Amino acid sequence: MIVNQTAEAELNLIQQAQNGDSSAFQELVRRYYASVVNVVYRMCGDAALAEDMAQETFLRAWLNLNSFHPKAPMRNWLYRIAIHAALDVLRRRTEETVEDETIQRVTDQTPGPEAILIEKEGAANIQRLLKSLPEAAHSVLVLREYGNLSYQEIAAALDIPLGTVMSRLNYARIQLRKLLKEQTHAEAEYA
Amino acid sequence: MHEDLYPLLNAYLDGELHGTRLREMELHLSSCEICQGELNELRRISIFLQAAPAPQFTPAERFVSNLTLSLPRRLQQAQPLKPASLWLVPAGSLGLWFFLRTVFELSNLIYMANESGVLGHAFPWFSNGSQETIWFALTTNLLGAHLTGNEHLALSLLNGINIFGSDLLWGLLWQAALIMFCLGWLAIWWMRRNPQFMKIENTH
Repeated sequence: MIVNQTAEAELNLIQQAQNGDSSAFQELVRRYYASVVNVVYRMCGDAALAEDMAQETFLRAWLNLNSFHPKAPMRNWLYRIAIHAALDVLRRRTEETVEDETIQRVTDQTPGPEAILIEKEGAANIQRLLKSLPEAAHSVLVLREYGNLSYQEIAAALDIPLGTVMSRLNYARIQLRKLLKEQTHAEAEYA
Repeated sequence: MHEDLYPLLNAYLDGELHGTRLREMELHLSSCEICQGELNELRRISIFLQAAPAPQFTPAERFVSNLTLSLPRRLQQAQPLKPASLWLVPAGSLGLWFFLRTVFELSNLIYMANESGVLGHAFPWFSNGSQETIWFALTTNLLGAHLTGNEHLALSLLNGINIFGSDLLWGLLWQAALIMFCLGWLAIWWMRRNPQFMKIENTH
């Protein structure tokens, strides 16, 4: 019942926004900002860039709002735009190191300096590993792990067949596992 | 490791297996230590990814404020037609068509009855005097003098049926075209309601 009410309220917001009501659109942005920025951050590994991409995502969503059909979940539609926006930006960008910036912006609730350092290094490491994956596999893995989309939703968001989602996800996890093993071995040798 | 099972292990981990496949996988996992180990590896990767903290992004409220400043005034795109308007076009066309056909067919019937004398020429203004088929004109000209009243009546009736039939043929052709139009319209309406069947690349 509560779920229905929430869905109905959202549907009203979408319809108002489609009629040009920017305050309704702002409310929708408030609802989806955290998920969208998190997904694009996992794509690019740079917090500032992720916010720019999120802004680009919502701008595109605003401009194309009339083409959105409320039958499909809005989150999935936004993810679709976000992934395309992220890929556009990443393709344009030349290779550059972003880990330093990432580390600077990663925050932690625990005050201990060692814990902060370990966590920052861990976060940067994960982003580095994710970025080493091929673009296609990377997008699928991010939508699954951080966007919590089902295979069917990922297929719809990326416009690829369900079997391709499964094979890319499979590939991404195998690659990640290999990379983690290599890293562990390298660390063991260094120690 | 059963390599062929790896994609299915992923699907199992992600809760994407259902019914028989799920039961088969559970049965297999209960007896295969290798696959259990692989599944645990996959779980560890997932946990490892989830454990990565996200940076502190700009608070939602400030992000919304910044975004609002840069929101362009959306071009007033064509508002999507409401279902009522979408139905109105084919329904209106059909209604108009049936009205016109009824008027035409009734006129033809009255004309035919009038011409053949069934109505005793009660509607003289209804006759335009030119509604004759070639065979009817030839027959009446050649044999007119020898025809009895009943024979002339029968010929007039046949002439009327011929004219009526040819009108009907044209009518049917028009109806077929109208049906095609309505079906096309409904197909467009359905596509608009189910955008997932259309290639929507609206992100650029």
